[in-house]
Amino acid sequence: MPGPESLVWVAAVTIVIWLGLFAYCIALDRRVRRLEEEQ
Amino acid sequence: MNRPMLKTLLPWLLCLWMLAVIAGAFFYAPSAAGFKGESARIVFFHVPQAWVAVLAFCVNLVASIRFLRGRDPLDDARAAAAARLGLVFSVLATVTGSLFARVMWGSFWNWDPREVSIAILLLIYAAYFALREAVPDEERRASLAAAYAVLAFVTMPFLVFVVPRIYWSLHPDTIIGATGQLKFQMESRMRQVFLASLVGFTGLFVWLYTLDVRLARVRMARSRGGEE
Repeated sequence: MPGPESLVWVAAVTIVIWLGLFAYCIALDRRVRRLEEEQ
Repeated sequence: MNRPMLKTLLPWLLCLWMLAVIAGAFFYAPSAAGFKGESARIVFFHVPQAWVAVLAFCVNLVASIRFLRGRDPLDDARAAAAARLGLVFSVLATVTGSLFARVMWGSFWNWDPREVSIAILLLIYAAYFALREAVPDEERRASLAAAYAVLAFVTMPFLVFVVPRIYWSLHPDTIIGATGQLKFQMESRMRQVFLASLVGFTGLFVWLYTLDVRLARVRMARSRGGEE
């Protein structure tokens, strides 16, 4: 397993954070659109 | 291009932008001298997260003042949305900072002035939500939260910009660094990636904030509809 100072480790942390935020945004965007359409 | 199409396209443009930033951070920007391994690359994400947190607390202040002046419930929703995002991005900045600290200084938490000041800031804004949860009456809750937000903001510049620069700190500093400290000077390719990341994270904040406010608007319309 790569150490915490390695490129793989730093890349994994940043990509997980970014993808998590983006996935949350996409899900929230869909929810808001659906609710606005229902209105 | 019509508005709905732009609304659909913008998130994916942001995604592509940030993927380019991530690729640039790991393959285009060179390694920073004086840092262990590749740990310095976290700066491309850690600092923009901290910047978004500060921006969110500024928006929280503006929306709170607007609420106190106009008593519009949507301003209260705007203030809450901004504070929520400020808290999330402060946590992210703390997590990425702790990972950097583990590599550079051997421990996730070192009681460095910047670590302590962000922890205090987190507690101050966590208390904002505790206050909101504690007051059932909507109008009273909004007024108290807005007044608290103004007071909370007073501490923010002090905790983020002043305290870490008064005391000796392990934290790398790009602007002011006391003699002997690790001063982080960016090479031009690093600066390009860094600025692109700042733009990307600011775009992400605007998107999240807008969604949160739209959601609040829908909820308000629903509750008004229920009352009628």
